[in-house]
Amino acid sequence: MMQFTETPPPPLHQITSFSNLPMNNNQIHRTRPWPGFPTSKALGSFGDANCMEQLLVHCANAIESNDATLAQQILWVLNNIAPPDGDSNQRLTCGFLRALIARAANSGTCKMFTAMANAHANLAINTHKFSVIELASFVDLTPWHRFGFAAANAAILEVVEGYSVIHIVDLSLTHCMQIPTLIDALANRPEGPPLVKLTVAGATEDVPPMLDLSYEELGSKLVNFARSRNVMLEFRVIPSTSSDGFSSLIDQLRVQHLVYAESGEALIVNCHMMLHYIPEETLSAIHNTNSSSYSVESSSPSYHRNMFLKALRTLNPTIVILVDEDADFTSNNLVCRLRSAFNYLWIPYDTMDTFLPRGSKQRQWYEADICWKIENVIAHEGPQRVERLEPKSRWVQRMRNANFRSIMFSEDTVSEVKHMLDEHAAGWGLKKEEEDLVLTWKGHNVVFATAWVPA
Amino acid sequence: MGPYDSAVSTGSTTSSPSSAAKPSEIDGLLAGAGYKVRSTELHQVAQRLERLETVMVNAPSEISQLASDVLHCNPSDIASWVDSMLVEFNPPVSIPSDLSDFSDLTYIDSVVSPAINQTVCNNSWVEHHTPQQQQQELTHQLTVVTAMEEDSGIRLVHMMMTCAESVQRGDLPLAGSLIEEMQALLTRVNTGCGIGKVARYFIDALSRRVFTPQALCPTGWSNENEILYHHFYEACPYLKFAHFTANQAILEAFDGHDCVHVVDFNLMHGLQWPALIQALALRPGGPPLLRLTGIGPPSPDGRDSLREIGLRLAELARSVNVRFAFRGVAASRLEDVKPWMLQVSPKEAVAINSIMQLHRLLGSGPTRVSAIETVLGWIRSLNPKIVTVVEQEANHNQSEFLDRFTEALYYYSTMFDSLEACSLQPEKAVAEIYIQREICNVLCCEGSARVERHEPLAKWRNRLGAAGFRPLNLGSNAFKQASMLLTLFSAEGYCVEEHEGCLTLGWHSRPLIAASAWQPIQDPVINHNNLL
Repeated sequence: MMQFTETPPPPLHQITSFSNLPMNNNQIHRTRPWPGFPTSKALGSFGDANCMEQLLVHCANAIESNDATLAQQILWVLNNIAPPDGDSNQRLTCGFLRALIARAANSGTCKMFTAMANAHANLAINTHKFSVIELASFVDLTPWHRFGFAAANAAILEVVEGYSVIHIVDLSLTHCMQIPTLIDALANRPEGPPLVKLTVAGATEDVPPMLDLSYEELGSKLVNFARSRNVMLEFRVIPSTSSDGFSSLIDQLRVQHLVYAESGEALIVNCHMMLHYIPEETLSAIHNTNSSSYSVESSSPSYHRNMFLKALRTLNPTIVILVDEDADFTSNNLVCRLRSAFNYLWIPYDTMDTFLPRGSKQRQWYEADICWKIENVIAHEGPQRVERLEPKSRWVQRMRNANFRSIMFSEDTVSEVKHMLDEHAAGWGLKKEEEDLVLTWKGHNVVFATAWVPA
Repeated sequence: MGPYDSAVSTGSTTSSPSSAAKPSEIDGLLAGAGYKVRSTELHQVAQRLERLETVMVNAPSEISQLASDVLHCNPSDIASWVDSMLVEFNPPVSIPSDLSDFSDLTYIDSVVSPAINQTVCNNSWVEHHTPQQQQQELTHQLTVVTAMEEDSGIRLVHMMMTCAESVQRGDLPLAGSLIEEMQALLTRVNTGCGIGKVARYFIDALSRRVFTPQALCPTGWSNENEILYHHFYEACPYLKFAHFTANQAILEAFDGHDCVHVVDFNLMHGLQWPALIQALALRPGGPPLLRLTGIGPPSPDGRDSLREIGLRLAELARSVNVRFAFRGVAASRLEDVKPWMLQVSPKEAVAINSIMQLHRLLGSGPTRVSAIETVLGWIRSLNPKIVTVVEQEANHNQSEFLDRFTEALYYYSTMFDSLEACSLQPEKAVAEIYIQREICNVLCCEGSARVERHEPLAKWRNRLGAAGFRPLNLGSNAFKQASMLLTLFSAEGYCVEEHEGCLTLGWHSRPLIAASAWQPIQDPVINHNNLL
């Protein structure tokens, strides 16, 4: 016997409320909830980026709660709406999607990473090893780094007036790219250039952007450059790593401080987007609760941002410049981190879109570096998760707690920075927040620059 | 025995030509120890010895009495000695033949398992490891039994094949006695997993076919079927694979179209569609107007389940700003659906989605026009942009029972094997009932009642080709997605393969489900004829 019902389609956009339907939900819900796709009303109204963020958040939740069915469905959707060569939102989402897949692969019971890599050909992130020229052109492309360089160099120049020997400790993500401009400026000092000692820590291939030469090679290039400007430059690498708060570097500097304290040498500590790799409280918290998961020696919170800053204070530096990206990647909650990262990292994708054509090799390199960061934030945990950005307010607090006092950037510095920004396209802006300077893109905070002296 | 004694005419009870022992042969091993036991009785003797030992272990106070009271009248006649001992302690277990409950599985447990194995089977749902431990305890007991227990699984398979062959020959008395023997043998194997579990279901199916063929194959209420389906969906990746592979093809086929219409041949809970709606919502250029027509059986209790699902999907679509319309078509059989019920408009791009439905059309008798041809004909007349077909990759439509039995045994063993990896409960347990229903239909039903007429991809290629469809390549996106999603979230052992543009999902080297996509061939001759 056959019967059929024809349901008139519900009028579009005028579907009446379903709350009083005689739906027998028991049997459907008793088995399992329907795949819970995000259905908040706000989802559709703010456009694609919000949708994609919601989907990523739901996917992260599904992976964390081992809801394989929902995770599969959302991953399927995301795979289709976020191609790696789409617009900036799609490329951003694609980066996060890859990171979520990597996270699921790391935490799941499957070990078929090769099968996945074959199936999803672009999954492995190949970061580019930049030559010095390539890195220089990357730095010049946008004010992302130039902002910090300009503010720092101007402040440094002011503070080293009268010193004949200056010792710069350059803890910089961009491998001394700030230094040539500073050397130029020092060379043109009315009283003549000082002797410059330049100390760096670590290796050139820990985190992106990675260099295709070692610090030794880079150093000799810098020395030659300085010589061409009639500046004496001594270059030194102290192997040291952020994971232990650059402790070997600090120890060396402490020895030097004892030796050179009376000789009138200016000690400049230039921190450019490196300090956020030093572990902080959230990592220690994990160590203390999950001490069995990690090696024994890191069970104490001694490898700690505050410890580093306090140690720095004991060196009595002439000035400390602290420049970093203004975002919070420290939450132990994956979804919080995902939201923070998504709501910050759209900026570099957006700037890439504005300044580089599609398909350009440089864009691929820079975006691969961003994907590396995304994967680090999303797919890794514990000490392997090194991208631990903190917002300006927290760094300011830490510096104050370590007995530093912030100093204002002078009017000249501010106008230098403004002048630099004018060389780049509209969209970039400058904010002054008390003593600090903040670079903005379309009104959003991007990078902050602060200067400190011992309190 | 059963009601067929009189009907059995020529079937002889002398043994099949296979390697089963002749009835009068004495077992050589035990003869060497001074005991005379017939080979065919070995398993029964062993079973009884085992029972006796358990009883003795459990009732120590009575052992001394046994020791003093018992007399071996004929020490070489173990069988009757053990029987006489056991009669005092255990009443014989009878096997009723009425097996038509929804809770088929637990019923089988209590019927087939004596005291020894009771806890083994009942606990297999809750604690996966307990049967193994119990199995190890059992192996400690009688050394006489051990040698047999190891090949019990093989013996079961052997006996099942013999039984199936007798069924095919019409020798139902032999089939019946084999079933009883097998059910006894089942008590000595671990029926919680492996060959024991598969055997349990197949012996049950044989038992139904032989003893209660007049009972309807359990089909259940439609909402019951939906629940079974939903659990099967959760417990293993076959349906999920079907859904996202079909969705990938449909999504790609709808590219560039602003009005699209999906016809789902079996809506169930509509689990396939939220993901597609979401993907359409965010596709570049914006979502199309989406119409979904869901076909499903009418609900027996007056509930309009199709409409309920449609409303839920509509709510989801509204929340992601996709213009959506749903129509439900209630039909007990797919061949009862007429194309005009689907109200396909010529302006829209149509996708026909058939997940394990086409094989149900293969059972019509020779006097009627073949249902499959009718349906494929009207599918073609709708001129769909794509027809997604997912089918079990098996040959369960053979007319010879033994062939069907053999193929089903291989197929469902593989499927049960893959299900072992699932740890979700109660999903896994209910999924087994879902599979059991399929097995029963394949083996116990005939004629129009047998709807599970699975055919392999090669045969579907021929059928669809002959009906005027050409295959569409499923594309690398579908393959990459399937591989990625499956390797991330399923146990090792599942594998996705691509064959000439179709994808299969299988367990180790055996494909179990195949997905393909088709499009009607535009035949200029036919069009010309229509104009005349």
